[in-house]
Amino acid sequence: MTDITSTEPQYEVLWPLSRRAVEDRATAPRIPDLNGKVIGELWDVIFRGETIYPQVREHVKARFPQAKFVEYSEFGNFYGPKGQAIAASLEEKLRHFKIDAVIVGIGA
Amino acid sequence: MKQADVVSRGLGLPLAYGEYPGAPMVDSEEELRAKVANTLAPGLIKGLTQGPDAPVSPVAAEPTPGSIVFKGTLDEIQEYFYQKLWTDGMPIIPPTQQRVDAFLKFTDRTAEEVLRAVPQEGREVTIQSIALTGVMSGCRPEYMPLLIAVIEAMCEPDFHIEHCGSTPGWEPLVVVSGPIIKQLDFNYGQGVMRVGRQANTTVGRFVRMFLRNICGYRIPPGAGDKGSIGFSFNVALAEDEDTAHEIGWPTYGMDQGFKPEDSVVTVRSVVAITPPTYSGGSKAKDHVQQFADVMGATFTYWSHTGMKRGFWHPLIVVGPSIARVIAREWSKDEVRKFLFDTVKVTAAKATHFASMTSTPTFSLEKLVAEGTLPKTYHESDDPERLVRVFIHEAMTGILVAGDPGRNQSRGYMGNHDQAPPTSKKIIFPKNWETLLPTIKK
Repeated sequence: MTDITSTEPQYEVLWPLSRRAVEDRATAPRIPDLNGKVIGELWDVIFRGETIYPQVREHVKARFPQAKFVEYSEFGNFYGPKGQAIAASLEEKLRHFKIDAVIVGIGA
Repeated sequence: MKQADVVSRGLGLPLAYGEYPGAPMVDSEEELRAKVANTLAPGLIKGLTQGPDAPVSPVAAEPTPGSIVFKGTLDEIQEYFYQKLWTDGMPIIPPTQQRVDAFLKFTDRTAEEVLRAVPQEGREVTIQSIALTGVMSGCRPEYMPLLIAVIEAMCEPDFHIEHCGSTPGWEPLVVVSGPIIKQLDFNYGQGVMRVGRQANTTVGRFVRMFLRNICGYRIPPGAGDKGSIGFSFNVALAEDEDTAHEIGWPTYGMDQGFKPEDSVVTVRSVVAITPPTYSGGSKAKDHVQQFADVMGATFTYWSHTGMKRGFWHPLIVVGPSIARVIAREWSKDEVRKFLFDTVKVTAAKATHFASMTSTPTFSLEKLVAEGTLPKTYHESDDPERLVRVFIHEAMTGILVAGDPGRNQSRGYMGNHDQAPPTSKKIIFPKNWETLLPTIKK
C-alpha cells in the first residue's frame, strides 16, 4: 500500500504563540512563627467565605494564639463593582494595617 | 490546582495555596468544617509559614516568535499542533511564513508591535500573533484590519480579558458594523448566527483560538479555562444595516457612537441566549411584550450577577420584519424603556438565585446602601416586592438581523461587567482601496 503522505507537500510552520512577558519573581520570605504577626484577609465575596474565613482564623489561632487578623471587610470586595479601585488601594491599606501576610480567596 | 499553576506562571510568582476539596457550595456545614480543618486550613498555614512547595514550575525555553517550529505534511502538522494544545480541536490552516505575510500586507503596523501582555500566561499580543491566529482559524488575509480591531477591543482594561476563563463559560461575541459588512461578505440575513459564511464563522473561531493560544485559556488536558460547561464560539454577528436605515433606526454601530460610514467591531460577552422568539401582530407592543416575556424568562435567573455589580448588558437581535413593525411606532429608546419598566423579578427570587450560585450573603439592601444599585431595589423589606431585571434603561443593545421572511428575534445576555460592549473603529491600511479589488469574492 502506498504511503500517501510521502507524496504530499511539506509545510514549514511558525510557532503560533508569542513571547512570555513575565519576569519570574521570588516570594516574600515566609513567617515560621505567626505569633504577633498581622494577617490580612482578601475575599471576593463568593463561595461561603463568610463561613470559611472565621474557621480558618480559629485554626491559625489554635496554633499561633498571638496571631492577629484584619478581616476582609476592611479591604472591600476586589471582585465587585469597585474591584479595580479596591485593588489599587491595596498597597496603601496593607501598609496602613501593618500587614505581615495575606490570605486571598476564594478561587474556583 | 492546574489552574493555580497557570496563574502562578502567568504572574511569575510562586503561589502558596490551601485547597478546598470539591465544591463548597454543595457541602453541608459539617462537611465544610471537616474540609477546612483537615485540608484547607493546614494548607494555608503551611503556605504562610513555609511557602510554596516548589518555585514556579520552570517554563521550557520557548521558540522565538515567528520562528519555524515544525516541518511536515498537513496531517503531521495537525497532529503536532493538536498534541501541543495549539488548536481548538478542529483542523487548522498551517501558519506558514507566506500566509502570515499575506495577512501583514493588510495592515500598516509592524509585525513586532506589542499591544499589551495578556493573562493568563502573560504573553505579548503582537500584530504577528494576530496574523498567525487568523491564518490558523481560516480567516482571509483581508480580514486583518478587523482582526486587529477585535483584539484591540479585547485588550481594553474594562473588557476584563482576565475573566474570559471564568466558570460561567461565557463566550465573546463580535458585532460587525458599517461598510466592512459587505466588503468582507458577512452574512446578516437568514441563518446569521450559523456557521457557513466564511467571514462570520472564521472571525468567531479566531476569537476562541486567540483565547486558547495567546491568553492560555484551555480546557483539559490543558488548564486556564475554568468554564464549567461552556458553549461553542459565537460566529460574528453582522447587522442588516439596509433595513435599519430604511426604517429609520440608528444602526448598532451608531448606537455605539460611530458614524454610519465607520467600520466598527464591538466585542461583548454572551452567557445565555433566549429561545427563538417568535412574535406576531401589527403593533409595536405585540412584539416588544414578547421580548419582555421571553428575555425575562431566560435572563431573570442570572440577573443577580448583574445586580451584584450594578451592570449587565443584554442584546436583542430583532428580525427585519419585526423591526419594521416596531419602528412604525417606537424608537429604539422606547423599546429599551418598555423592557426596563416591564421585566421584573421578586427580591426573594433574585436573592435565592444568588445564594444558589455563589453568594449566600447577597443582599439587595446592602447593594443599595453601598451605591451599587438604585434605591428602587430596596423600597421595602417585602421579599415578594418586584425589582427590575434590566438595571439601566440604556443598557440594552438592539440590532436588526436574521431572516426577513420570518418573524423571529433572539436575545443575548452578557455576563455582568465581564466583557461589556467594547467597540473599536477598524483602521485600514493606506492602500486599502487598492487592495480591495484584489480580494476574491
